[in-house]
Amino acid sequence: MRRFLLRRLVHSIFVVWGVVTAVFFLVRLTGDPAVFLVDQTATREEIAHTRHLLGLDRPLSTQYLEFLAAVPRGDFGRSIRERRPALSVVLEHFWPATVELALVAAVLATVLAVPLGIVSATHKDHAADHLSRLASLFLQSMPSFWLGLLLILLFAVELQGALPAYGAGTWRHLVLPAITLAAAPLAQNARLVRASMLEVLHNDYVRTARAKGVPEGLVLYRHALRNAAIPFITLSGLSLGFMLSGAIVIETVFSWPGLGRLIVQAVPARDFPVIQAGVFVFALVFIAVNLTVDLLYAVVDPRIRLS
Amino acid sequence: MARARVRWMPVWWGLTLGLLTLGASTALAQAPTLDGVAIDPDAELVVAMPDDTNNMDPRIGMGSIRSSYIRQVYESMIDVDPQGKPVPGLAVAWKPVGDLVWEFSLRRGVTFHDGEAFTADTVLFNLDRMFRKNLDRWGIKDVTAATAFEKTLPVVTRWEKVNDTTVRIHTSEPVSNLWDAIGREPMVPKDYTIKNGVDALNDRPVGTGPWKMTAWKRGDSMRFERNEMYWGNPPLFKKMRFQVIPEAGARLAALRAGQVGLVDAVPPLDAQVLSRESGIKVVSSVQKLYCRVYLNARPKDAFDSGGKDGLFLDPRVRLALNLAINKDGIIQKIFHGYAIGNASPVSTVSYGYAPQEPYAYDPKRARTILAEAGWKDGGDGVLKKDGEPLTLQLLFPAKHYGQAFDEMTPAVVEMLKAVGVQVVLKPVDFGSLLQTVTKGTLPYNGGYVACRTSNNLDADDFLRDWSALTMVNWAPYSPDLLEAYRATRREVDPGKRLKLLADFQHRVRDWAPVVSLYQEVKVYAMSVRVLRFQPLTELHMDFRGVAIKK
Repeated sequence: MRRFLLRRLVHSIFVVWGVVTAVFFLVRLTGDPAVFLVDQTATREEIAHTRHLLGLDRPLSTQYLEFLAAVPRGDFGRSIRERRPALSVVLEHFWPATVELALVAAVLATVLAVPLGIVSATHKDHAADHLSRLASLFLQSMPSFWLGLLLILLFAVELQGALPAYGAGTWRHLVLPAITLAAAPLAQNARLVRASMLEVLHNDYVRTARAKGVPEGLVLYRHALRNAAIPFITLSGLSLGFMLSGAIVIETVFSWPGLGRLIVQAVPARDFPVIQAGVFVFALVFIAVNLTVDLLYAVVDPRIRLS
Repeated sequence: MARARVRWMPVWWGLTLGLLTLGASTALAQAPTLDGVAIDPDAELVVAMPDDTNNMDPRIGMGSIRSSYIRQVYESMIDVDPQGKPVPGLAVAWKPVGDLVWEFSLRRGVTFHDGEAFTADTVLFNLDRMFRKNLDRWGIKDVTAATAFEKTLPVVTRWEKVNDTTVRIHTSEPVSNLWDAIGREPMVPKDYTIKNGVDALNDRPVGTGPWKMTAWKRGDSMRFERNEMYWGNPPLFKKMRFQVIPEAGARLAALRAGQVGLVDAVPPLDAQVLSRESGIKVVSSVQKLYCRVYLNARPKDAFDSGGKDGLFLDPRVRLALNLAINKDGIIQKIFHGYAIGNASPVSTVSYGYAPQEPYAYDPKRARTILAEAGWKDGGDGVLKKDGEPLTLQLLFPAKHYGQAFDEMTPAVVEMLKAVGVQVVLKPVDFGSLLQTVTKGTLPYNGGYVACRTSNNLDADDFLRDWSALTMVNWAPYSPDLLEAYRATRREVDPGKRLKLLADFQHRVRDWAPVVSLYQEVKVYAMSVRVLRFQPLTELHMDFRGVAIKK
């Protein structure tokens, strides 16, 4: 176990280095941020002066070496747009807004998907199954942008402010964006749980458990679900990773001050430091989520050894 | 005893009733009203904004939405009224003193939010920052700035304090629009900046404006509290919050739910629907945002040309393309009337604007003019000259200026095709467009659709576009036009200058440096409880004198 974690740690350092290096050079291929900071009637000399103030007129190799030396200190430079340390800008959006929304949505998507998927599988081709599949199809195919606006119209406008239409800060603000963000993964998870359960419910050990008179609840939740859980955990991990990287559409519709919108605004503005810090945080998030998923495999299925 | 009590009861009740009546009438008399309507002086107005500002320090830039935030806190020497006319702000008067000096007389008794006095020294300090002089002396750092005054106004030689309320600015040649170029720049406090550094102007802005910034949650909201020491007409409510709601549909839903009081940037299509709803008012105002097709009309030595002049160098071709566009159709069908046509190179709400004869929609005449310029039908519907087709590679910054702009561009392409121009539409992100025009790598037969706005009041801010080789200048003035333009800048007599400006706009209209499309009309929607809000022709909103109904 310790060797596994150590190896993953070393591996992660290389992954992060590779990612930040690739981003460092790629963003510089996309153009010059100085042109965004000057007036459209600025001359080339004015643009050159701005570039000089940003330190972008130095050789690329110098900029890269300085960047590499600064990253371990958490110094990604100052945001070109906001004139503040880029990592602080990114972390302000990441915590609590993005983490809060992602975790609540992930819990919703998981907690509701498991019973839905099981009911659907155990009542295959019956009304409950049809209803569950129809609901899944509906939630998965409805654009989150549209669903978000509908929820706002229903809960904020028609129900006269039952829930806030925008913003963050209280649990009431969290309800609509979390439901919207959870909708598609919930449907996806429910369908996956159903498919996996249908597969394992026909296995010999399930039949044996039932023949031994094990209560149906135990058969389903202890014997069948644990074996059906591996693909579900993988998918949930991926979904959580994407949610933690920010949900641009939901953040835009609900005016949620998360990470996704920050990065999406930073890219066209060529705010290199924020893009680099953001990608660094994304890389760490995905590494942490993948590691957690790997550890969970071993917990759920003891046959999997972490070595 | 019992008799005495009975005798006194009516007196007691009478006194009580009298006191209650007196109290109620006093309360009624004290309740503030506006036009006979009771207002709530302690109310908070929530304004739904499409975006946050990146900076509060005005030196960094005032473009687009930033102005709405910055001008609540910081003020300039020259203010503006709802019609776009210059009015006294921190300066009570301004005038040329001879040809080479402009004098600003400052308002007395104005203080910044922290109590620092606004004086001539404040103005000198701001001029130092604007022109990047004496920064070491003041111990402040330089910032990346949208406008480099030392480059745009190199003729400004020095500035001096005549007394505590008078400042003079000296130039090496007459500059007729100096009042505007300098006077519209917001003033920051001197002592506060020196003591706290320029970053404090962003994080904890301190101005002379009607609102004090009390909190700024970046990307989310900015909170303000009324400046009780404000020198002018104050807002009639106590608190204000600018709430970022990027999605237009969500902004309007929040207004309908009563969770915001006013919505900025209402899409034209929604404006029509909202105006029919009860409890909501819709107001609009013409803006300076002026959208055009820029065509490559640079001579070959002025861009990365590959040895060819810009294909649209001939003014007749540009004029013909102006006649090929059905602007009224675009304004009515796509903008639902929330835009206006304008044939002048200057926005209709700028000082010195002179109305020009519209470019009438006349495809037949456009073809005739193109034929006169040598572009004949090549048999396939595309015009050709010396075997070369009249092609326009049109860069289109999608999803930058809004949905109506994105719908308009394909319509313009079809109209140009209808007169025989082969148009190749190339959607790009706005940043890539800026890179292309900055580097000068627009193809010789290239062009782009873009909008231009202004933070200034004077016509010069638009007319200077084609005087120096900048991002927006793809049709530099001919030598005679350049001389005429310089003459407008040299003339400091207002009457004579207005005439020169009118003549010059007429010449530029015929010379057609761009294909003029439309000028934006900005729409605001608000609760009927918001009283006396008047939209400006400027980029920002003004809440002075605005009240909230009780």
